[in-house]
Amino acid sequence: MPIETQVNAVHVSLSKGIDVDKIEKELASMWSDASGAGGTTGSGVTRACTLNLIVYTTPADNRAQLDEMLDLIGEQHPGRILILIADREANEPKLEAYVSTRCRLLGATGKQVCAEQVTIETAGPLVETAATAVEPLLVPDVPVFLWWKDIPHYDNELFDRMAQLADRIVIDSAAFDHPHEDLLHLARMIRNNRRAVRVSDLNWGRLTSWRTLLASFWDVTDYRPLLDAVDRFEVSYDPPNAAPNEVAPKALLLSGWLSARLGWKVVGTAVRENGVINCDLRSGERGIVLSLRRDETGELKDGMVSSVTLSAKKGEADFYVALRAGGTKLETEARVGTEHSVGRVLGYEMRSEAARLSRELAFLTRDSVYEEAVAQAAQLVDAIRVHVSNPSMSDGSN
Amino acid sequence: MSSSTVIENPLRQGIRLERTAEPCVVVIFGASGDLTKRKLVPALYRLVQERLVPAEFAIVGLARTEMNDADFRQKMKESVQQFSEARQVDEEVWNSFAQGLYYLTADIANAADYQKLAELLDRIDKERGTAGNRVFYLSVAPRFYAEAVENLGRAGLVKAKDRSWVRVIIEKPFGTDLESAKLLNKQILEHLDESQVYRIDHYLGKETVQNLLAFRFANGIFEPLWNRQYIDHVQVTNAEAVGVEGRGGYYEGAGVVRDMIQNHVFQVLSLVAMEPPAHLGSEAVRDEKVKAMTAAREFTAERVRKECVRGQYGPGSIAGKPVPGYRQEEGVAPDSTTETFAMLTVYFDNWRWAGVPFYIRSGKRLPKRVTEIAIQFQAAPHQLFGADVMELVAPNQLIIRIQPDEGITLRFAAKVPGQITHIRDVNMDFRYGSSFGVQLAEAYERLLLDCILGDSTLYARKDMTERGWEIVMPILNEWAATRNEVSFPNYEAGTWGPQASDDLIESQGRRWRRP
Repeated sequence: MPIETQVNAVHVSLSKGIDVDKIEKELASMWSDASGAGGTTGSGVTRACTLNLIVYTTPADNRAQLDEMLDLIGEQHPGRILILIADREANEPKLEAYVSTRCRLLGATGKQVCAEQVTIETAGPLVETAATAVEPLLVPDVPVFLWWKDIPHYDNELFDRMAQLADRIVIDSAAFDHPHEDLLHLARMIRNNRRAVRVSDLNWGRLTSWRTLLASFWDVTDYRPLLDAVDRFEVSYDPPNAAPNEVAPKALLLSGWLSARLGWKVVGTAVRENGVINCDLRSGERGIVLSLRRDETGELKDGMVSSVTLSAKKGEADFYVALRAGGTKLETEARVGTEHSVGRVLGYEMRSEAARLSRELAFLTRDSVYEEAVAQAAQLVDAIRVHVSNPSMSDGSN
Repeated sequence: MSSSTVIENPLRQGIRLERTAEPCVVVIFGASGDLTKRKLVPALYRLVQERLVPAEFAIVGLARTEMNDADFRQKMKESVQQFSEARQVDEEVWNSFAQGLYYLTADIANAADYQKLAELLDRIDKERGTAGNRVFYLSVAPRFYAEAVENLGRAGLVKAKDRSWVRVIIEKPFGTDLESAKLLNKQILEHLDESQVYRIDHYLGKETVQNLLAFRFANGIFEPLWNRQYIDHVQVTNAEAVGVEGRGGYYEGAGVVRDMIQNHVFQVLSLVAMEPPAHLGSEAVRDEKVKAMTAAREFTAERVRKECVRGQYGPGSIAGKPVPGYRQEEGVAPDSTTETFAMLTVYFDNWRWAGVPFYIRSGKRLPKRVTEIAIQFQAAPHQLFGADVMELVAPNQLIIRIQPDEGITLRFAAKVPGQITHIRDVNMDFRYGSSFGVQLAEAYERLLLDCILGDSTLYARKDMTERGWEIVMPILNEWAATRNEVSFPNYEAGTWGPQASDDLIESQGRRWRRP
């Protein structure tokens, strides 16, 4: 287990743009320093490079927290980390860079695994062109991940150029400040993307447990036919802090995922009754009512999903998953008729943000299941936002 | 024979959702034993917590010890707390898991007890929706394997009903020689189809062993070199620092060839030597493994004398602590001739490997616990840099570490920076721990899940177990016949085995790698 982190910062002053050679040279000298300090064998440092990770962030972001996350990322995905801190609000142009290494001791072996880091601070008009400062610093032949630690500025040139550099973009739809609008934007971006940029959503990762448990009901042969007879589907969620009147992105993604996988089509517009939004879905001749219910218990935080129920044959069978005890336990139950009921309680440990990001960095392939979930969620948003959004935004166009 | 009915689950598509098993009951024979508490129940607990098995799941512990469900649950709770990596076992979560834990006091030899088991399993099917699917795990002394299977067969418990399946996991050792292994296979296959039999070898559950297939057949650059043209020889080291740890009685009758080489080491060896399989199906992979082992050259008495070394440790010290010799261990005869170390030179007489020696060594009380495969490539054909400069440079080596610190290292020569040309070896390291930063699943976890999913790739097939014995029988026979000729102990605990092992490899112009 890691026991030590060293960050050595070497300032590189810049007057005429980023001096790539100088940065590479500084990094090389830091490697030899680290190697020399590794012990008498001279083989104390293991240099491994599995990826480039570009982190786009703003000065307002919590640096200490970011550093802590990157320590773990550097250990699990050794590679080059490029942090771009962009201050769009500033008037003064600024472009500065410094390099550092993050080293972790591996157990008692005295061996260290190091990740190298280049931090670029940019402000004012130079923000828009910062992508050209990043590109030459990427290590060749290993994948490029862009972690957009801000709400994506989809129409923005910097986002566009950075997205072009990346093999995969990591966003977090939980941070959307206008969930409905932002989801529609996201769906459009995925649909229209020229280079078919692959998107990772940290919020989607948070739904993996839910998806696993919901899917596992239908691994049971006896229950399988009931999946084709589902007529009610209810998702309860805590409203997002940023937009309490809108449906939490997680609830939308989960509903989008399930209905997309099962080929349920959204029909008509949604109806809102007593804090519940009901949407009509259709699968062939069968109608399914999707109810998005606000969880008023206050037990959960910011946009979390609290329970999902699938009912078949007018209540003859129920399949239920719920997050309980302040989000520390998951409870499931499969009930068929009045006789048969099997359930269990499982521990639920929320992964740290760093662990979640680390997991996203393990995937490179296109996640078509996610993309279809977003597309379906966007259709749900279209069906419901007339009723729940701010009236000024509910003109129905997108 | 029964195989699981696969019905497509539309929600299972996607890159992150791991495979989940069908409902089933795992019945553990020998539930009061060590393996159950150290490995099996903690592994099953984790599979449940990782949501890899559905809620329709149950475990039945079966042993002679008088206990009720509550006692068994309490015992298992303590062992999960002690042996699983779950930091804290939550009361409510445990209770939910424990509801699926049952215990049956039963005697393997008593046919009537199997009726009780059948009744219990029917009841569990109703209570927990386990759908008639069963895994019987025989974690008992080897002499009970055949009897247990026979009694299961007589009680009708191994016949699957309509859509369900029944599988039987058999622990090692599988037989004590070729004859007994063949007999055991015959006995169990009277009641079971081969597709129902899962002979466990926990080495195959290790991530690096599985990675061997990926490493060899998913990369374009290694396989072209993987033959007699480029490989000089292969070393397989399987070392334990521990002694017999109170199992002296068992070990006396076994020895390292039976205990380690015939099963674990040969499994690993076959993955190194095999040809590419036609596909990754369990039969295709296992066909190739057996085919490779079929090409292993027979050990004649002369080859045993010249190309094999046996050893037994005497007193010495491990990690700075004095330890007794083998003959001083509990349950060991003071004049024991059981071998605790063996070195074998294996040749595969086929196109790929003709003339390439595979040196295998395995032993107890060696300096540290390590299992690795070192592929030594041939030296560069022409010494451009001169002998003095190259003095310290060994030919390229590829080292595949199986435990601890699973990973792969490639060693190659590089110029030392400076005005004069000096060449030195450098290592290129890949470690599972640091490259993927994931906690590797316990081997038992992986293997149990594979069995529940009906994937037998990582289990030993009948022909493989028998072939393993076929290869080692001449060695065992020769050593038994000449047991009075050895002067044991012949290596000190805490060293890399007898001097003869070094002498043998060095006589062929090679030397053991220090792992």
